[in-house]
Amino acid sequence: MTTALDPEKIKVILATDCGSTTTKAILIQYVDGEYRQTHRGEAPTTVEKPFADVTMGVVNSVTEIGELANRRFIDDDGKIISPATETEGCDIYISTSSAGGGLQMMVAGVVREMTGDSAKRAALGAGAIVMDVIASNDDRRPHEQIQRIRDLRPDMILISGGIDGGTTTHVIQICELVAPAKPQPRFGSDYEMPIIYAGNKEARDSVTDVFREGGFDLQICENLRPVLEMENLGPARDKIHDIFLEHVMAQAPGYDKLMTWTDAPIMPTPGAVGDILQTVARIQGINVVGVDIGGATTDVFSVFDETFNRTVSANLGMSYSISNVCAEATMPNVLRWVPFDMDERQLRNHVKNKMIRPTTIPQTKEALMFEQAVAREALRLAYIQHKEFATTLKGVQKQRTVGDTFSQESTGDTIVNNMKLDLLVASGGVLSHAPRMHQTAMLLIDAFEPEGVTRLAKDSIFMMPHLGVLSAVHPQAATQVFDRDCLIYLGTCVAGKGLPKPGKTCFKYTVKGDTLNESGEIRGGDITMLPLEPGQTATIECDPARGIDLGAGPGKRITKDVQGGTVGLILDGRGRPLALPEDRATCQATIGKWIEGVQMYEEEAVAV
Amino acid sequence: MAKAYTPGLLVTSNTRHRSRRQLPIKGEVKVSVGDQVQAEDVVAETALPGDVHPINLANQMSLPPADVPECMLKKEGDPIAHDEPLARSKGLFGLFKTTVNCQHEGTVETVSPVTGQVIVRGKPIPVDVHGYMAGKVVEVLQEEGCIIEAEVAFIQGIFGIGGETHGKIRVAVGSHEQPLAPDDITDDMSGCVVVGGGRMSVASIQRAKAVGAAAIVSGGIDDEDLKNFLGYDLGVAITGRERVGLTIIVTEGFGEIAMAQRTFELLKTHEGREASVNGATQIRAGVMRPEIIIPLESGSGEAAGGAHEEGLLEIGRAIRVIRDPWFGMIGEVSGLPSEPHVLDSGSKARVLEVRFPHGETAIVPRANVELIEG
Amino acid sequence: MTRFLAVLMAMFFAVTVAYAAAPAPPTDVVATDEPNDVGNQVQLTWKGSAGGAAGYMIFRKAVVGDQLSGASQLESVGETATGVTEPVNPEGPDGAVRIEDLSFADDEPIAAVSGGETSYLDETVEAGTSYMYAVQAVSATNEVSPLAITEKPVTPTWDWINESKLWFLFIMLTISLVVILFVMIAKSGRPVKVRKIAGLEAVNEAVGRATEMGRSCLFVPGILDINDIQTVAGLTVLSNVAKTAAKYDAKLEVPTARSLVMTAARETVQGSFLSAGRPDAYNEDDIYYLTDEQFGYTAGVQGKMVRDKPAACFYMGAFYAESLILAETGNAIGAIQVAGTAMPSQLPFFVAACDYTLIGEEFFAASAYLSGDPEQLGSLKGQDMGKVIAALLIVLGCLFSTLFVLTQSEKLGEISAYISENILGEEGLELNDSQRENIQAQMDQTKAVEARNKSMAELRQSILDRAAGADGT
Repeated sequence: MTTALDPEKIKVILATDCGSTTTKAILIQYVDGEYRQTHRGEAPTTVEKPFADVTMGVVNSVTEIGELANRRFIDDDGKIISPATETEGCDIYISTSSAGGGLQMMVAGVVREMTGDSAKRAALGAGAIVMDVIASNDDRRPHEQIQRIRDLRPDMILISGGIDGGTTTHVIQICELVAPAKPQPRFGSDYEMPIIYAGNKEARDSVTDVFREGGFDLQICENLRPVLEMENLGPARDKIHDIFLEHVMAQAPGYDKLMTWTDAPIMPTPGAVGDILQTVARIQGINVVGVDIGGATTDVFSVFDETFNRTVSANLGMSYSISNVCAEATMPNVLRWVPFDMDERQLRNHVKNKMIRPTTIPQTKEALMFEQAVAREALRLAYIQHKEFATTLKGVQKQRTVGDTFSQESTGDTIVNNMKLDLLVASGGVLSHAPRMHQTAMLLIDAFEPEGVTRLAKDSIFMMPHLGVLSAVHPQAATQVFDRDCLIYLGTCVAGKGLPKPGKTCFKYTVKGDTLNESGEIRGGDITMLPLEPGQTATIECDPARGIDLGAGPGKRITKDVQGGTVGLILDGRGRPLALPEDRATCQATIGKWIEGVQMYEEEAVAV
Repeated sequence: MAKAYTPGLLVTSNTRHRSRRQLPIKGEVKVSVGDQVQAEDVVAETALPGDVHPINLANQMSLPPADVPECMLKKEGDPIAHDEPLARSKGLFGLFKTTVNCQHEGTVETVSPVTGQVIVRGKPIPVDVHGYMAGKVVEVLQEEGCIIEAEVAFIQGIFGIGGETHGKIRVAVGSHEQPLAPDDITDDMSGCVVVGGGRMSVASIQRAKAVGAAAIVSGGIDDEDLKNFLGYDLGVAITGRERVGLTIIVTEGFGEIAMAQRTFELLKTHEGREASVNGATQIRAGVMRPEIIIPLESGSGEAAGGAHEEGLLEIGRAIRVIRDPWFGMIGEVSGLPSEPHVLDSGSKARVLEVRFPHGETAIVPRANVELIEG
Repeated sequence: MTRFLAVLMAMFFAVTVAYAAAPAPPTDVVATDEPNDVGNQVQLTWKGSAGGAAGYMIFRKAVVGDQLSGASQLESVGETATGVTEPVNPEGPDGAVRIEDLSFADDEPIAAVSGGETSYLDETVEAGTSYMYAVQAVSATNEVSPLAITEKPVTPTWDWINESKLWFLFIMLTISLVVILFVMIAKSGRPVKVRKIAGLEAVNEAVGRATEMGRSCLFVPGILDINDIQTVAGLTVLSNVAKTAAKYDAKLEVPTARSLVMTAARETVQGSFLSAGRPDAYNEDDIYYLTDEQFGYTAGVQGKMVRDKPAACFYMGAFYAESLILAETGNAIGAIQVAGTAMPSQLPFFVAACDYTLIGEEFFAASAYLSGDPEQLGSLKGQDMGKVIAALLIVLGCLFSTLFVLTQSEKLGEISAYISENILGEEGLELNDSQRENIQAQMDQTKAVEARNKSMAELRQSILDRAAGADGT
């Protein structure tokens, strides 16, 4: 790593993201007074044997950019040329990584729902995959917990528990489980297992005693739950990042080399995505949900009222985990999104073949429709998991008055509220590489069921991780590129909450804008699309039917500005929660109607 | 023109293969460089730390945790037998003493004055690492294991179940397209690696298990059959730890699909030879495919280098289509258009033109083919 | 004895009023079997004597046969007094006579009523026996009228169904069926949705808080003995709290005010620790007896709270004045508090001072809620249905009564009377005449009141007008 350059002089920025299957590179150049993303390249990731060197994939992807940009980035020694000249190299090079399965952690807390969840939030927020949460009340006997710790091979362990001045017994008990279990790290046998202790400060000495022997690298940081009423995740997150760089990255094949190339610390990909979404939510003052559906896992990020949450659904993905999605969602649930009959036996084989050959892409429309049906279910399940995790803090004392007699709300309710959601961002292969934007929009609406007025966008080429790192080095460039090139706005979805009667009015609307002036009504069970080009805005006024809520309360009129996009304005009268007919034939007809309503597939695609 | 990299499965009649035999933790290596080892030989051994049994003495004796160390009858590091007294409370004026007997055999590892917990570690669990593949030890990894090298015929499968095993190769069918029926498996195939052609059914797997076959290899398997055999639906392709009685290897994929002719021929030529088989599959980062290794007579010549550069897509290369609608078909590359092509699904992707043996050609995305290597 | 009294009464009437002629006999004497009984009642009604009477004497005779042949309904005692009656029907009950031979000559009256009455309920009859009745007016001077005899004999019968309470039957059957239905649904494995009781959900949270803070949990099972249902309900909750505490490895203390409650609580907690798989963590010294004295106990618990600062306090059982003392102390030491009691007077204190409160029914539903046992869940759900029906009837009754008063519509009056008197009362399935008359009477009364109000208003207006006129001039 070299020290950061003067931001004024940075004209050419090269960024890579080493994913588990592909390494994506983007080039950002200073053109006509502003930063724009100009070229991109992609190559398979090369962490695995026979290559076992991540830099090969990086070089391949950068070479592709070089060919496109007509610029040489790699010198004869196979290194990235820096700083830039007129025709060669780049000024800064940054990278994120989720290759090698990303950062895998085990966390522990005293009470699963309290410090256990806080520790998990800290780890997830830092971009890790949480393999397991060990807690006093996780319904496992101590020997089972020890067996589990032994079987896991995490990159690091985060132990928390007890508020400051709280329990020490429970915390030490957990440490006394971890220490004799001697968990083995994934990479390298002479590597000391890093353990971060972020619990009760009064237990620090005892914790140090427990881990004194046995080859642990104990790091102590501030308690992540100093009182039950408050979380303090920052120090623990920073510590995780530090250890990720110092220990974990250094062990993965080729990363030692890659780390010397970059001008900023390599970040775990999801951590970088979280950073950029938080920045956007803060600057624009909106609530954002972001989703990244990958081959093995699906990450959901949310920022509601400036509270950031991230979940990783470890076994919901579109290639490695596709079979698991079908198993968890069940085949009938997947097939309800497909408007034609499919042979179940063939499908099952088809799914397994995708699992063992994860890089293949659908060639026929039918295959595409099926894959998108699986995607809907994966996203839906991942969002359910996210809602369950993103809650208010548990274990907080309440102040009551007699007026609360019949409305004693419990703590730990989800903070995810689709009605308050302003922006839904999609990324990940199946969403961003869908042949038509309408498909992406529909997948988002069907899986997330946004309510009220929600803007839909997709990360064009999964640039968010790159920008997350860049925002730490060159915030100006990061925000400029995010605004102009990163997000492709698909349009705005207006959907009523409640269950409208099929065929009866769900809401009446009047849209006024420069190019779009229309009014009409949306009936229950209908979904339709109005053209509104990207960059254009219009004002929509809606009168919902009784019991239908568009944001102002059931039956109350709303007036809002809506932005256009490549898809346009989607008016959804299907109701929330979205219900599909049980009967297969009726269901196919309904789905067929919806697909037609938003022209999801081009005309001939709706063949039955 | 940029090189396009499309990894495929390795099927080769002669290669120099190195197998890394490693202990999970440090231990003793039993071989030295230059030794000739057999598959069943133990090359390294160690003892894993025994199971851990936490005993909460503070609760059992109703004592504050800090008093626990004083009451211990055994010190840290002392061995303890089953039902032997572990601790005794001081009681009141020397009366009403409580004695706690240890319910586990092992060694007292720690006594905690904070939690009042005593940890007793059970007997060490011995771990042996076998040679797995017959060959010559070329390197010893200090205290960790060794590397064995041999000239082998090497076949990678696409998917497997079960761990390492070895046995004589027995081809049970006549052609690479013939499905493996239960009747094809005879009683004398006990301990053998049974090779079939097309799809293997759950009945044939059960039959192979019944006769005591070490492994069963075939072109394809139905997902339903696999589920029935395993008793659960496989969610992610990370296997190798199943204990199902035999190792299963599928060389091509799921469904009605024949084994590649080359693979079949290769196995057939080596019929009767000892083969090492591992079904462990990990389709994730650090991809692992199941493998069939057939050590050859030493000195049968240098490993033959492939005519093509590894992993390079060129006109004339043999490829297999790995996605519908031509799933499983084998052909050769007949064209490599550099411009992306719009597929039926509407997406744009880089494609190639493939010519199938009967002469017809098709346009297939490059992502949907794999090279047949070797 | 009865007979003696009757005579005495008759004599009393006799002496109060001096000399008069024999009164006219009562008319239209009708005896009917009282419905909806076990056959032991006959209702006798008549129209009062024309000239009024000081009292009536009632005679009864068991008879055989069903028609009074030839004999006049009016019969003077004197005329038949000489006849000899003999029991001629051996099959009839004791003392029964053939109807043709009916005579009340030798009989003593079975009862006497005052002159204002026109009915009598005879509750000394036997089911299945036919009776003839006679009524005789008695004047103030002890003159008696001729007997007025019923036209037909009456045979009281045993009614198997009490029709006046048919509605109760329907409601009971409905609720029972609903209970059975819900039990079956619960057993079939379909989820039975029971409203989330925040207070019970909060047990995990409260115990968790205690665990994280390294403090204990305090459980107060009320101050009444084990024979109080609230204490029993409290112990049910205790078993859940103890299981959670065992799971979290948190310390649980239970001070009790009764020795028996202590024993029961120990059993409960031990069982919970065992089922949570941590029998070694159970310490029976944590469940102890303080004193039977209400305030001695309160002071003891309060002292414990101030010293140990438990992070979770549970108050589950019967509480009196100590409720607020305990709950306020708990609030002051920053504990999460969950209370449950069926003492209406203490609930407001708990609601204000605790984080969560189980109110009355919720408290008793806790065991069903916690156990998740299909039988208990099903009956809980079924009982809820019963409550829904009751609430519905109350609302409808109020609604129709109000509407009736406002609109004076007869139909609405009937509906409201039907709800209050037939469905909830004992008037059977159909509205009867007396109810209709009642409604009519109410309407008339309202009209009369209105008319009077109106005339009063007119009067006042005219006075005001006159006064205004006087002022003007």
